[in-house]
Amino acid sequence: MAGRRILLTGVSSYLGTEIARGLATDPSVEYVAGLDERPPRARLDGVEFIEADIRSSALTDIVPRTRVDTVIHNKIVRRPGPGVSARAAHDVNVIGTLQLVAACERAPNVGAIVVRGSAGIYGAEPEAPQFFTEELARLYPLRTRFQRDVGEIESLFDAFARRNPDVVCTMLRYQPAIGPTLDTQMTRYLSLPLVPTPLGFNPRLELVHERDAVEATLAAVRNPVRGPVNVAGPGTIGLTRLLRRAGRVALPVPRPLFATATLAARRLGLANVSPDLRRLLLYGRAVDTTRLTEEVGYRPRYSTPEAVEDWVRSRGGRNLATAVGELLPGR
Amino acid sequence: MSAARRSEREAAGRAGGFGAGGAGGGIGAAGHAGARRTGDSPGSPLRPAVFFLRALRHGLARGASPLEAVAGAAGGFPAEAGEALEGALRRLEGDFPEDEWGFDEGFAETVYPLLELMFERWWRAKAIGVSKVPGHGRALLVANHAGVLPWDALMISTAILREHPLPRCARFLVLKWAFDLPWLSIAVRKLGGAVASPYNAIRLLEEEHLVTVFPEGERGIGKSWSERYRLARFGRGGFVEIALRTGAPIVPVAVVGSEEIYPKLADVPALARVLGTPYFPITPTFPALGPLGAVPLPSRWRIEFCEPIQTMHYGPDAAEDRRLVLELSEQVRETVQEHLLEGIFERGAPFL
Repeated sequence: MAGRRILLTGVSSYLGTEIARGLATDPSVEYVAGLDERPPRARLDGVEFIEADIRSSALTDIVPRTRVDTVIHNKIVRRPGPGVSARAAHDVNVIGTLQLVAACERAPNVGAIVVRGSAGIYGAEPEAPQFFTEELARLYPLRTRFQRDVGEIESLFDAFARRNPDVVCTMLRYQPAIGPTLDTQMTRYLSLPLVPTPLGFNPRLELVHERDAVEATLAAVRNPVRGPVNVAGPGTIGLTRLLRRAGRVALPVPRPLFATATLAARRLGLANVSPDLRRLLLYGRAVDTTRLTEEVGYRPRYSTPEAVEDWVRSRGGRNLATAVGELLPGR
Repeated sequence: MSAARRSEREAAGRAGGFGAGGAGGGIGAAGHAGARRTGDSPGSPLRPAVFFLRALRHGLARGASPLEAVAGAAGGFPAEAGEALEGALRRLEGDFPEDEWGFDEGFAETVYPLLELMFERWWRAKAIGVSKVPGHGRALLVANHAGVLPWDALMISTAILREHPLPRCARFLVLKWAFDLPWLSIAVRKLGGAVASPYNAIRLLEEEHLVTVFPEGERGIGKSWSERYRLARFGRGGFVEIALRTGAPIVPVAVVGSEEIYPKLADVPALARVLGTPYFPITPTFPALGPLGAVPLPSRWRIEFCEPIQTMHYGPDAAEDRRLVLELSEQVRETVQEHLLEGIFERGAPFL
């Protein structure tokens, strides 16, 4: 078999760069193209960088020209914030995906599509099953803008897979990622000097380590399966236990004021807590990862508590005493 | 599901019970054994209080006067204090176990003496037929339900921990809005509760847990004083489907006493709508006494475990058989109802 030819969107994000690096070192891969609006920060050997806006119709020419057999869709904005307005994020997520799907229709060589989607589609609900299996999406109404974006992205690829039964579409549903080098909504929130938490709630969180986040996509490229697959480190951790392990000081806020508290953090430019994360911090969410381990054949190296430990280690050992010390004035 | 995964879950299931009660022994002996076992595991901030309570109970059981018992219990205080402080600090560092359901063994162990005190002194509960509960493997406990707080589920768990030869902690399913209320959501989850959903029930059973369910659901909570011990409809028999699908035996449980702890005299639907709860009950103590209204009345309890109904031989496909499901559901309902009526008679006066 000749080597595989792969196109990756969103190559300039941290995880995109890491995925591209993993693909470039894989001997069974002949060609890797990375698409994004701005070049990646690090030099990527063996990856052809294509500078293009995913929202533009130029994609319809670019994708067929690369003659790729696999497309990895990684350009999904999870954190509207400085530089990216909510509207721009929505445009990239929905219009970008639409353009990519349209381009794939024109690219006869494409046989597999892997999407790095989000488990956000399940939502966070008080009455939710404690472990979502893949068929339980849309059990509840899609409440936030990002959820509706993810819903639309999934519908687009579902329709594409129905129209093109010979193309294998894998929808990876990622839980929030955490890790030493990642800078995400979640890590910023957890790094606040005082972490606002909803008073009287201790949500079960499930996270995925950055290493596993990269490896899971690579595993799905090696072994594409049809339909949605949950990606998460097994096990859960309560928010209280997480903050204590990390030596962070929690600031419990009554629920009606919680949104205000997170908005204040945003005003101060400290962290941007999206409505999705806010609901997650109230009710939590965990998923079943049987499909990932048994069908894709990838067993995450870090469980959720281990991923948290690794993140805590990378930030230097802190405990409650040093954390309280840092808060004292006069330093 | 693969064999490997199943055996993993079995292992998790076996680890699920926590040893706090003695093997059906006397109060004093059980107290000592339990105390030592608590000492081995990472401690909890309430430890001194726990030891105090244990010692107090031990003293009272020996027939000492209340004052002497208090003095005796306080004597053991300082020795434990250092260790307890260390345990509390460890908990503050986040060093405590917590399974993927949010069940917190340390917390449950800490609260257990309190539950035992409620069981023995407050409700003077009597458990009958505890040994009919399977000692290992999956099983579905089906009981009558009353009261907004899941005291009945906790007392069933306590009865099994205290008196079963192979004590283990039963998980229980409670209504969804318990998870929408501050603190209650934390406490319920830490003690082994989960949202009443077939997905959760099936998963817990596949992990070889004991699972307590209340098929009356919301209708059970909302029963008024005059309807007490009259079982409401058992839904559509969803619990039978779950038992058939997982091959778990059904153990009917009749709880007498739980339906008198919060006598609901009236309901204010308008307030319930505002608060988003299914009912806004008016009881003799609530809302007149405010938060004190949450203190349950000291009725006398009698928890009877009935003969298990095996479901393994029907096979998982039988879950689709509506006739069988409804028949079994009705059979369980009748069993619970019969034993409830018998139990009320056996128990005698509710509050004496």
